[in-house]
Amino acid sequence: MMPLTPETLPRHELAGLDVEVVAAANPDAIGIAGTVVTETTKTLGVEGTDRVWHVPKDAATFRFDLPAEGDSESQSVRVRGSNLVARPARRTEATGDSKWR
Amino acid sequence: MTPGGSEIARERIRRLHDLAREAAGDGNDERAREYVRRARRVAERNRLGLPRRFKRFTCDACDAYLRPSVNARVRLRDGHVVVTCDCGTQARYPYE
Repeated sequence: MMPLTPETLPRHELAGLDVEVVAAANPDAIGIAGTVVTETTKTLGVEGTDRVWHVPKDAATFRFDLPAEGDSESQSVRVRGSNLVARPARRTEATGDSKWR
Repeated sequence: MTPGGSEIARERIRRLHDLAREAAGDGNDERAREYVRRARRVAERNRLGLPRRFKRFTCDACDAYLRPSVNARVRLRDGHVVVTCDCGTQARYPYE
């Protein structure tokens, strides 16, 4: 099994994870926190308490909380949004976790 | 293809199935549909099959996540089950 780990996160399903926007080109987007509910090529839909924010991936840095699973503890991972820019179903196939640069 | 790629895909399908069931349970039918479609797409791209439970609880035509008695009717016929989605599509599965 290849579960959701910090290494596989950019290629894994993001929906259902808790996320916070820690840096973004748009100052109003910083601090948006909630659960990922939808994803498009260029945006993440984050459901907060009363609405769904569509945050552009390219211009933001996200912090995902990985839930504790089995013997692993819960941990949080910072991901540069530009590593996530791809069609949702295609991220699994290669992009995102290249060790280059 | 990176090693372990399809393992991620398998796990991803499993997660999408759970998410779809949860969304459908909360009444977010369109969201559930999105998850079902994405799971199908991931399976297709990675040349994987879908779990039997996933196939039984989704509509082939409209991708809805089926909840018996809410958006699907389940009737027993001789030797098979007929599941009718609200969109009218019927799926038949054998039983013993």
